Amino acid sequence: MSGDADAEDKGFEQFEQFLDEWSRRDFLRNLGVGTAYLAFLAGGLEFLEACGGGSTTTTVNVKEGGHVVESSVSDLKNFNAVLTTDYTSDQMISMINDGLYTIDATGNLYPLLAKEKPQISSDNLTYTIPLRQGVKWSDGQDLTADDVVFTYQLMYDPQYAKVNSPRRGDLSKYVSSVTAKDKYTVVFTTKTVYAPFAISHMLYAILPKHVLGSLSPDDINTAPYNSAPTVSSGAFTFTKWDKGSQVTLTKNPKYYRGAPHLDSYIFKIGGASTQVLNQLKTGEIDVGFPGIGAIDPSQYDSAKSVDSINVYSYARLSFDFIAFQLDPAKPASKLFGDKTVRQAMVYALDRAAIAHALYFDQATVANTSMPPASWAYNKDNTPAYNFDKAKAQSMLDAAGWKAGSGGGTRQKDGVPFKFEMITNAGNKVRENLLVVLQQQWKDVGIDATPKYVDFNKVLVPAITDTRNFDMFMVGFIWNPDPDQSALWHSRNAVAGGFNGMQYKNPDMDKVLDDAVATLDQGKRKQLYFKMQQILAEDQPAPILTFPNGILGLNKRVQNWQYGTFIGRRVFMKDVFVTDGK
Amino acid sequence: MLAKYILRRVLASIPTFFGVTLVSYFLIWVTAGDIVPGVEINPYIKKEDIDRIRHNLGLDQPFWIQYLNWLGLPNLAAQLHLISGDWPKGILEGEFGRSLIDGSPVITHILDRLPNTLELTITAILLGVLIAIPLGVAGALRRGSKIDHALTALSVAGVAVPSFWLALMLILLFSVQFEQWHLPWLPSGGAYSAYQGGDFLDRVLHLIMPAIVLSFGYLAIWSRFGRSSMLEVLSQDYVRTARAKGMSERRVVYLHALRNALIPLVTLVGLELPSLVSGGAVVEIVFGWPGIGRFALDRAFGHDYTAVMGIVTFAALLVIAGNLLADILYAFLDPRIRYT
Amino acid sequence: MIDPNAVDVALPRKEYEGEAARPAQSYWNESWERLRSNPVGMGAGVVVLLMVAIALAAPLLSTYVTHHNPYSIDLSATFSMPSKAHWLGSDEAGRDTLTRLIYGAQVTLTVAFLAVAVSLVVGGTVGLVAGFYGGLVDNVLMRFVDVLLSIPAIYLLILLTILQPKIGPIVLSTSDPRSLAVIIAVVGWGGLSRLVRGEVLSVKNRDFMLAARSIGASDLRLISRHLLPNVLAVMIVAASLNVGAVIITESILDFIGLGIQPPTASWGNMLTNAQTYFYHSIWLVLLPGALIFITVLAMNVFGNALRDAFDPRLK
Repeated sequence: MSGDADAEDKGFEQFEQFLDEWSRRDFLRNLGVGTAYLAFLAGGLEFLEACGGGSTTTTVNVKEGGHVVESSVSDLKNFNAVLTTDYTSDQMISMINDGLYTIDATGNLYPLLAKEKPQISSDNLTYTIPLRQGVKWSDGQDLTADDVVFTYQLMYDPQYAKVNSPRRGDLSKYVSSVTAKDKYTVVFTTKTVYAPFAISHMLYAILPKHVLGSLSPDDINTAPYNSAPTVSSGAFTFTKWDKGSQVTLTKNPKYYRGAPHLDSYIFKIGGASTQVLNQLKTGEIDVGFPGIGAIDPSQYDSAKSVDSINVYSYARLSFDFIAFQLDPAKPASKLFGDKTVRQAMVYALDRAAIAHALYFDQATVANTSMPPASWAYNKDNTPAYNFDKAKAQSMLDAAGWKAGSGGGTRQKDGVPFKFEMITNAGNKVRENLLVVLQQQWKDVGIDATPKYVDFNKVLVPAITDTRNFDMFMVGFIWNPDPDQSALWHSRNAVAGGFNGMQYKNPDMDKVLDDAVATLDQGKRKQLYFKMQQILAEDQPAPILTFPNGILGLNKRVQNWQYGTFIGRRVFMKDVFVTDGK
Repeated sequence: MLAKYILRRVLASIPTFFGVTLVSYFLIWVTAGDIVPGVEINPYIKKEDIDRIRHNLGLDQPFWIQYLNWLGLPNLAAQLHLISGDWPKGILEGEFGRSLIDGSPVITHILDRLPNTLELTITAILLGVLIAIPLGVAGALRRGSKIDHALTALSVAGVAVPSFWLALMLILLFSVQFEQWHLPWLPSGGAYSAYQGGDFLDRVLHLIMPAIVLSFGYLAIWSRFGRSSMLEVLSQDYVRTARAKGMSERRVVYLHALRNALIPLVTLVGLELPSLVSGGAVVEIVFGWPGIGRFALDRAFGHDYTAVMGIVTFAALLVIAGNLLADILYAFLDPRIRYT
Repeated sequence: MIDPNAVDVALPRKEYEGEAARPAQSYWNESWERLRSNPVGMGAGVVVLLMVAIALAAPLLSTYVTHHNPYSIDLSATFSMPSKAHWLGSDEAGRDTLTRLIYGAQVTLTVAFLAVAVSLVVGGTVGLVAGFYGGLVDNVLMRFVDVLLSIPAIYLLILLTILQPKIGPIVLSTSDPRSLAVIIAVVGWGGLSRLVRGEVLSVKNRDFMLAARSIGASDLRLISRHLLPNVLAVMIVAASLNVGAVIITESILDFIGLGIQPPTASWGNMLTNAQTYFYHSIWLVLLPGALIFITVLAMNVFGNALRDAFDPRLK
């Protein structure tokens, strides 16, 4: 990640340069060099598109002023990044408060409050981060290393245990200390070498110590700051939260990366998710963003035909998958214990048809568990598991599962190939997905029954606790770091972990452990290639698809950047509206 | 006698109030399970974090203790020096609790949204009354005729479709289609426009469709009731007397019959008190209306018990108070009731 | 002096010359006659019977008429327009809409009639007992009903459906129409009990009751053989009007996500699902909505006709 002359790094520097140029755009604009502007964009665009992202740019000159209204289906929970993990809050926070870093389109660190990428000691345990100097909070106070240290203390320091932070477990596992070496330098020391540390934990929005520092840990949970963050460091400042109606943000003209073009940004809260496209059509909202107020994939085609909006469909980090019960103590493992059987079951699935019919073509059929936009993705991972019913049937025959007389459910040693699949009720795509799986497996003699259960009360405990399932189907979102230990490592098979399949493969464990024990991206890439290879063989939890996110923008909104890894809204300062209103 | 009656009714309301809170708390508590409100389950949150947060929020204590804490009895007992310790305030002192999701006071959330809900439900009730009365009276005056049947059918048609479906149809026509046809179109989301909205006209425009959809629910019952009440009154002796005296039919109907027919309608409208606070939930969802109904649903699904308890208690208080007022009003108007 | 044998004071002699006087009829027969002479009401009743018949005959219809299974998917025929293969089109997974509507009728009407039946039994019993005994029994029971009615119904429904309570070995989960019916009944019997109690209060001091009591009839006999028949009319009318309300409630629960779960079809959840797919197939939105509309309308009109039939003063 640092000091490596790999292609990815070159690309990163190129991107870094490109983003730097953006802030010089004002200067260029004043000189009236629209073409030069385009040239920068052209280079940047290609780069972005290669990574499954893009930007909405036109030849129209940038206009100052105006507002954008975005739809948010769920209500914001909390403006305090330490206390909340939900996506909506996260996105809103990212507009008003910056973290040390964010992630660029390739999934690598991009400095925000930090001046540059961290300097890592030779033992890979110490991260020294120089901060940008002269950054001020919106009330004029300096943003210093003390603020950073304070924010992290809330999450890992035992004296703040009463702060209800869901991140404490993870952070305190890896962080040994966070200190301020001087006014503008922060030093993190980790307990073990952990490659995903920076990407996972250096993105949090930093909180102002001079506002929250004097509160007791208990009071931080209920601090007024959580619903009215009056002191902030980001591109926009908080203006108003009309509970249940909208959140209004105003531009921060003193933003250290350059003042935003927009005057105000409004999140319109609480619209029904089925109404997003309707409201885009009438112009009541300008933006429908995946994860917050997205257009349903089924409406993609009709959205495309609307004159006043642009629609973009792109890969994200979320995926849908099925998981086999592999615990020998559970009955279903008799069916799934044999690796050939699992492979056969994947061959029996026509995932292309599923992506076409259930996701309306707005999904990528997954060949590996790695998101295609990641630097660790192996596009040539084999075998590819294309739909092959005949092959599935012969594999099942070879494994001893013979079809009953006159077709029908396969049997082996008197045990019929019959099991139950569970997923959460209330998600249309998943409900239909199980029915499709049932049908496609029925065609090869496997009897699978769908069952829909309550997400929180039944499904989550089944995955993380009781492990009472034959097969479950659910969706997850990966972290930007390619580490996938959460699902595949045997240590996560214990209660509380997400390796609900009880997949235990020492080779896999070694690959995963090695891959986080080195910071060398090249070496990690090789290891992740190996991981993908093992998964293709073992198929403990076949990934079905990576569903796309569908972004709808009113045509007047320009310079919006989107992509798999563009998680935080760093680009917001460059967004403008063509009518300036 | 009146005073005694009032006292009896007030005393009778108290166990009702406790009954409501106990039942609600129990239901909510059983529903919640092991969930940490406000924190989405994702693979990167450890079980120890979930346990710790639950402990901090006091969610790992037995039901009775949680209920008593919510009532605020330990705090009252402490204030009376019966027990020691620092106890949080409870509902008995007016503390509606703090949201488990962001720690903000529940009562603030309720009061923020209450005006929006009331705006919607009161408008809907008014619309309902304004349409139902003429419908019912017209049917009564021409009973048995085709018009009567048609009006009956019309009034019950309004409740023959689910409100969310009706809402969707209206939105598709008056919002989306009208906008495409470049006609003046009605907004479909929220109580006011996001940008520079909020003035009176803006709010009224946003109110039209939701209030109409909501009013349909009241129409059916009230128009039917208005009709039967009117018929009952028209067959009374004093009406016959008025006619015999030679009064014009018009005066008979509007001066005598109608006024008396409307009195029982007051009860009926009073029965809708619970729905003032909660009835608009589905309409609020479809139209994105920032009201209490939708808020309660969101929090119920988000397992924020204190918020849901706060809302249910608030609604129950309103209902009980409303019923009490109605009873007292009745006793005042009809002295026979004071002796029951 | 008028000779009682010579003058028929009930009916004008002239009109009934040569004809037998009209025989006395029971209250029920009279009501039936009145109902029969109400063509609109009878028509509505027929519509309801038709829906019930379709619901009961669902398996037969799907085998012999539509030749489709409500669950079998066909990814190559999603959102098809009405055609020979799919008479009313197909849904987002290629399932036949007509068959699903027929099975949906079964589910929705089961929920509706069962919920009303249960709430009739529970609410009716409570109302009868409370009204008949009065005093402490009445107070306690009505207090309980007050509590039930003070909590807005929709919150109770949501809590109960999220809760999935267990009664012995039976889990009340909303994937089963019978469980859902019980939950809706549990929330809704309050109003009925108040209604019944009111009727009982006005009937119990009538002469016939006093007479029966004075000859020593037991409480049970008094309630079941004397009180109940007189209160029944009110109960029937309320019940018939509630059926429509439960159908709507079921669809609202589906909309919130808590009612009958797919792939089991109910009119309500078909309607809810169709909202997103509006742009693909308008049939999916209109058809379940139309069926709900027709059935509920018919039920309400029939209920009103019943009320008119039972109480001629209001006609």
